[in-house]
Amino acid sequence: MKFIVFRYNPDVDATLRMQEYEVAASRGMMLRDALMEIKRQDETFSFRHSCGEGVCGSDGVNVNGTNLLGCITRVSDLKEPVTVRPLPGRPVVRDLVVDMSQFYQQYRAVRPYLIRRDPLPEQEILQSPGERDQLDGLYECIMCGCCSTACPSFWWNPDKFHGPQALLQAWRFLADSRDQATDERLDALEGPYRLFRCHTIMNCVEVCPKHLNPTVAIGKIKELMLKKAI
Amino acid sequence: MSRQASGFRAWVLQRISAVYLGVYLVYLLGFIAIEPPQSFEAWRTWMAHPVVSFTLLLFFVSLFVHAWVGVRDVVLDYVKPYLLRVLVLSVFAFGLIGSGLWVAKVIFLAGQTV
Amino acid sequence: MMSDNRPVFLNLFQFRFPIAAIMSVGHRASGIFLSLLVPGLVYLLDLSTSGPEGFARTLEILDNLLVKLLLFITLWSLLHHLLAGIRFLFIDFHIGAGKVAGRQSAMAVTIAAPLLAILFGFAL
Repeated sequence: MKFIVFRYNPDVDATLRMQEYEVAASRGMMLRDALMEIKRQDETFSFRHSCGEGVCGSDGVNVNGTNLLGCITRVSDLKEPVTVRPLPGRPVVRDLVVDMSQFYQQYRAVRPYLIRRDPLPEQEILQSPGERDQLDGLYECIMCGCCSTACPSFWWNPDKFHGPQALLQAWRFLADSRDQATDERLDALEGPYRLFRCHTIMNCVEVCPKHLNPTVAIGKIKELMLKKAI
Repeated sequence: MSRQASGFRAWVLQRISAVYLGVYLVYLLGFIAIEPPQSFEAWRTWMAHPVVSFTLLLFFVSLFVHAWVGVRDVVLDYVKPYLLRVLVLSVFAFGLIGSGLWVAKVIFLAGQTV
Repeated sequence: MMSDNRPVFLNLFQFRFPIAAIMSVGHRASGIFLSLLVPGLVYLLDLSTSGPEGFARTLEILDNLLVKLLLFITLWSLLHHLLAGIRFLFIDFHIGAGKVAGRQSAMAVTIAAPLLAILFGFAL
């Protein structure tokens, strides 16, 4: 199988280049396996990966124009030649390795943890099964960055717009019955950028490898704002 | 432009104006398709009807609000240099206000002389 | 290591845009196009209500072939903007906001807008 891979080494290259590799596809081979084979052929090639089963969220890459996780993508599902590039809009550290610090900053900005006003009880804070169900489709996010780096609004304003990943997590804590900072959280999302740069393009929903839906989460945040305003 | 006015409220105004524009647009398109005014008198009589004058004025108000929020969104996305941004938004604001005063005059005059 | 000249992959021609994204770009482009036409619309409204001569002149302008072409593009833009807008309103309230439903409705809007424009154009 023919692979065309984005290469950039800051110590050697003045600019990026595309390099071709030939990899023998085997049964059940995942893209991550193919990238590891390329690494065997060419030691100078770098990419991130770890768990190999879609849990750690390390190997988000752009393949034939679409963001995906290398470890859970069969090479047999990909059209040849397979063009592999780093996640869009993020500064490239080396080859497929990108700098995600802005993405993490946006995550941090939504305060992704429970905030309590009441004194903490001796034991755990109880939740009914119904309340717990509200977190399904939200807590599963592995922060691979496929969604936010596929979002045009995040491309244009990565410093001001939270992006789909952070907004999904913003809703994850707003939806949590144990959290007591609803008003603060909503106020923090006000303004033209943080939440309202979302134009419901739904690229995030298209690419999420965990099949989560940031569009619905963002819609629910807006709905909650509307309910609070009326 | 307070933060309150520029995020949530802009979003709400855009949706509300959209609903009115959408409904009125269907009416307008139907009116033009089914019984287009054939003469100046018929056209003027339609325009001069108080219900038409009022709803048409509201249509243009909604249109300007809707266009303003929409264009502002586009400018916030693509136009980065601060001065250029102010310039584009100002030109657009003046265009909308000018068009607004103009259409108010047209609707008002049409309502007067029949 | 932070602010430097590291390359960024952001070539819009090498990114594969799903149908919903293309429809969304159409919503944006048609919105800008339509808002630029507002002064023209107001001008025609003024002219047509100014008197019998103005009314006749308006019909004359609208009868021009180039204007008719512009009118068709306007109608297409209007219908695309309207249908896409209705779709967005539904998605705001979590209706049809799934991946498959979003794709289907985006495709439906993109196809229906020009078809309706042609249909409406013939009716005139």
